[in-house]
Amino acid sequence: MIVAEQKPLQEIRRMISPYERVLILGCGTCMTVCDAGGEREVSFLHNALRVAQSRSGNEAHRFLEYTLKRQCEPEFLEMLVDKVGDVDAILSLGCGIGVQAIAERFPDTPVLPGVNTSFIGMAREQGVWDERCAACGDCRLEDTAGICPITRCTKGILNGPCAGTKNGKCEANKDMDCAWVLIYKRLERLGQLEKMRRYYPMRNFRAVPRPKRIVRTPVAVGEDNG
Amino acid sequence: MYPSASSNFQNYAAYRTQTASRDHSFVPPCQAACPLRMDIREYVDLVAQGRIMEALQVIRGGNPFPSICAYVCTHPCEDACRRSQVDKPIAIRALKRFALEFGGDRMIQVETQTTHPEKVAIVGSGPAGMACAYYLRKFGYPATIFEAHSELGGMLRVGIPRYRLPREVLDVEIQRLTQMGVEIRTNTRVVSLDLLFDMGYKAVFVTIGAHQSLRMGIEGEESPGVIDGATFLREVNLGLKPSLGDKVAVVGGGNVAIDTARTALRLGARKVNILYRRSRAEMPADPAEVEQALEEGVCIQFLVTPTRIKRQDGQLNTTCIRMELGEPDDSGRRQPVPVEGSEFNEDFDTLISAIGQAPQTPGDFRVRIGRGSTIQVDPATLSTNRRGVFAGGDAVTGPATVVEALAAGRLAASRIYDYLQHRYPSVSKEEREKLVGDLLPETAEMIKKIGRIEAPLLPAEARIKEFEPIELVYDWETAVNEARRCLRCGMGAEILFQDKCATCLTCLRVCPYHVPHLDTTGTIQIPVDQCQACGVCVAECPAKAIVLRKPYDRRQVTEELDHVLKSATESKVSPLIIGFCCQYGLFGTGTLANLWRAAKAGIWIIPVLCIAKVEANHLLRAFEMGAEGVFVAGCGEQCARENTVAWVRNRVQKARKVLAEIGLEPNRLQTYVPSAAGANPAEWLDRFVEQIGGVYLASVIMQEVKVDSR
Amino acid sequence: MANSLFEEKLHSNEFLVTTEVGPPKGVDVSEMIHHIDILKDRVDAINVTDHQSSVMRFPSLGGCLLVKEHGGEPILQMTCRDRNRLALQADLLLAYSRGIVNVLCLTGDSIDVGDHKEAKPVFDSDSIQLLKMIRTLESGKDVGGNDLKGTPKFCVGASVHPEADLIEPQLIKFEKKVTAGAQFFQTQGIFDVASLRRFMQYASQFDVKILAGIIVLASARMARYMNDNVPGIIVPQAIIDELAAVEKGKGLQKGIEIAARLIRTIKEENLSHGVHIMAVGNERVVPDILEAAEVEVARH
Repeated sequence: MIVAEQKPLQEIRRMISPYERVLILGCGTCMTVCDAGGEREVSFLHNALRVAQSRSGNEAHRFLEYTLKRQCEPEFLEMLVDKVGDVDAILSLGCGIGVQAIAERFPDTPVLPGVNTSFIGMAREQGVWDERCAACGDCRLEDTAGICPITRCTKGILNGPCAGTKNGKCEANKDMDCAWVLIYKRLERLGQLEKMRRYYPMRNFRAVPRPKRIVRTPVAVGEDNG
Repeated sequence: MYPSASSNFQNYAAYRTQTASRDHSFVPPCQAACPLRMDIREYVDLVAQGRIMEALQVIRGGNPFPSICAYVCTHPCEDACRRSQVDKPIAIRALKRFALEFGGDRMIQVETQTTHPEKVAIVGSGPAGMACAYYLRKFGYPATIFEAHSELGGMLRVGIPRYRLPREVLDVEIQRLTQMGVEIRTNTRVVSLDLLFDMGYKAVFVTIGAHQSLRMGIEGEESPGVIDGATFLREVNLGLKPSLGDKVAVVGGGNVAIDTARTALRLGARKVNILYRRSRAEMPADPAEVEQALEEGVCIQFLVTPTRIKRQDGQLNTTCIRMELGEPDDSGRRQPVPVEGSEFNEDFDTLISAIGQAPQTPGDFRVRIGRGSTIQVDPATLSTNRRGVFAGGDAVTGPATVVEALAAGRLAASRIYDYLQHRYPSVSKEEREKLVGDLLPETAEMIKKIGRIEAPLLPAEARIKEFEPIELVYDWETAVNEARRCLRCGMGAEILFQDKCATCLTCLRVCPYHVPHLDTTGTIQIPVDQCQACGVCVAECPAKAIVLRKPYDRRQVTEELDHVLKSATESKVSPLIIGFCCQYGLFGTGTLANLWRAAKAGIWIIPVLCIAKVEANHLLRAFEMGAEGVFVAGCGEQCARENTVAWVRNRVQKARKVLAEIGLEPNRLQTYVPSAAGANPAEWLDRFVEQIGGVYLASVIMQEVKVDSR
Repeated sequence: MANSLFEEKLHSNEFLVTTEVGPPKGVDVSEMIHHIDILKDRVDAINVTDHQSSVMRFPSLGGCLLVKEHGGEPILQMTCRDRNRLALQADLLLAYSRGIVNVLCLTGDSIDVGDHKEAKPVFDSDSIQLLKMIRTLESGKDVGGNDLKGTPKFCVGASVHPEADLIEPQLIKFEKKVTAGAQFFQTQGIFDVASLRRFMQYASQFDVKILAGIIVLASARMARYMNDNVPGIIVPQAIIDELAAVEKGKGLQKGIEIAARLIRTIKEENLSHGVHIMAVGNERVVPDILEAAEVEVARH
């Protein structure tokens, strides 16, 4: 799941300040699951902006609220067609993909990002999300017993651990487990420690040359028979 | 690209709004079990909030004679109550009585008008007849009750003893019927229905009850000293005091037998024995009544039945035989079988047989009679084989309960109305589904155990001295606490908009009762029969896909808030302080009342049905509309739901962050939870008001300075 | 055939002594030069740290040039934190061309512990991949597979952490480093001689030279600070207590004593092939430590 965090209210207020009519647009998929930009958060942000406005006495903005099932699909964006005319800007609480998709579809309406898209990760328990995947395009989880050294090791090294590991925790963040200690323990448990003894050469950082495109369309069968 | 997407969407939006405004609650087991289909869940909830007058309104709306039921109803609702799967059922009957006595039901007058010319005759004035008269008057028909005895009430008057149903209560209801315009003809025995039609009545409701005692069919039954229960009770209830001697036997195991035995005690019998041919488990009498009888000193001999009575030396020498339980009979109960050679003899001064009653329908009525001498009717319309003649109550069902008779009377009135209007019976189908299913162990485990408080009874020795009512009514605290135990079956949360649900599993994780679960398709289900209606998932769902089933609950906090904000801004008192306060239980009625009293000008209290339903949005809105201070006050430990304060604190934190970011002091928003009994909310409120006052003054001054410096 | 003076020493059986100097944060290198001057004849080689603890400083390569200019034997500490493989290889070519051939390959401390917390961490390679990178250059190719015009030769080493709380992964790495070509190892700070002994029992099977790291502490507070904040350093409570016991101002004296004591023990019991003294700002007392430990190096 893509996980994000809402931007601080001050920053959002600064972003919307030039615009009078603002559509606060939520997303019903990833942003709902990580509770950063779903319908409830849209409503809450709307209320927060109105409180801020009423306190400052300066009723500069008018807000519309709306939530799309997903902001990253062209068909869903069509549902905004009759709304963009009524607003001066769209404050999207979708991830970076959504913001860009809206901007591309509606190039005449400024689109503002309301959240900071942070990582691809999962929920550990209610309210706690951990990063898990770097989308490196070169998955090597078979060598590390299913623990990703790219995301879970601060340095992203492939022949770990480094010397900074202490009590199984990372030197950079004492609350974070040292990924390589985890990898060691689990490889040992699986009886596959020789995987850790192997030398892993440097990563191919261009396995996913940015920006990447994946194309999967049906290949046309040859015109002739057979 | 997709021209229809927009217009499709308009329709969908309209569909959504429509769906959102419908009532999706399920009919709870208590209501489904009640023959009158009373909205028990609703009035119990109102008592729990301390809104007794409104509870009374709901009660009176569903039952023509609620005060009678409050004393004698057999409460099938309590038997169906699912709270018994946690501890004990809600004491619904006792709560009803509390509401009636506290609310002053006696004062209520019922307005009627006669809008139709057709007269209807009601033969018999038991609960069925009284109910039929009541509803016919409400429909605008003139009604006449014909009663053979000198006073109205049927079994209510001549069957149920005074210590169970005080006569003043019955008389008040009858008085109300008179005030409604029902014509009453006592001491008038109807012998022929043709005569009634000749007199101009257009329809007749036959509800003569079942007063004819069944015979035991044993030798010596005719002896002096052997009487039947129905006659005995009638005589006592009409003021006679038959002398029974010291030792009395009562044969039978139903409510009549118990009433007979307890009445005998009150008349001075020193030893009263009930002889019942089956065991205690099969006794049809109300278990609470049996218990009370035993407390009062009645002796019950199980698996015993008399076979012969011989009057000798001024006493009844009774031969009894012991029984054992054999195969089940038609009623599903095991047949008693005599044990060979187990006869024994006992002497009694009086023997009263109370083994059942049957109706006694005059042949001249010319209505078809069926099994057990009961009148045969079409169950949907209560019509007999004669045109214009309807029948209901014990005369049709055999001896049954008061509430069933009331329901029959109500149904008969509707059907007579249809008949007189020459139209098909208008059957109103219940649109809502019935709630079925037991509480799962993992849900029942998490429900706070609060014991049932029984209605207080007079001590047994005091009871048997006289015929005064034995059951006392709850006091305010007890009633409110007892009502709070209700699980509110069927009005919990549902995922109304499954398309909005992102299956983020928040509801599953936050529910204190482990109710939402994933089904085999990976879709979240919130089973209606497990949900405890706490409202936590509704407030926490990131997609706002979950709502409470009853439309009022969905809107409650927002509506109250809007209303208060409107009034508050109109009143223009500063600084404005808003408090969201729980209205349930002793907090709602006790502490909240204190807060109301302590509230100074400028403080507005918004009653909410559990603070778990107050969302961060509501808190912000209060500030947006000009509140300088906001607080949320909850029951804390007293809360019947789990963990509500923790959720509220989370939301308060969230709102405080926003306040801080826009330059308002975060402690303008506080939670108040009294931790100890006796903590003084008024004091806390005073301090809060002072603090807000100070903060408000400071901000005003600062604004003035800003203005001046320009 | 040794590529450097230090490499020669590695092939000998002498008790080796190395130490390190930290470059300044700025262009005023006078103090560093002063340290180089007092140390260059007392030790076999001088490490120059590479943005130690991720604090931006005058570069290690520049410091090594200064060491060389002033007659000392430099060891270039090279971390993978800040440079990608192009930059690392380029710096190695430059180092070789200026006669700096001793390289200590390190992964590098995390950006988060330093003073530029918003910088981009590079980590295009780790320490083992860097060792391999150097060996690849020595074979006449770069790591992209292209031929080099002129082939460098180096003497490479790496670090090891014998006092780690979970030792097995460290040993796995140690072996990988040896296989990748490391010739010498400088350990993290040693305080517990027993764990060094245990480690050496295992490490002696390999044909590499191990120099035990000795940290010079100046006070109990410094010891505690390092425990909490500096990666890879674990000061035992006994040492902290020893430092806490002395009166104010005498902390460094005590630190020197402790360091000398450790060195003496290691030398007498032949626990390692030498020591690497990390004075952490107190470089001027290194000669005192060596004197107290009665260790002298042979200068050519």
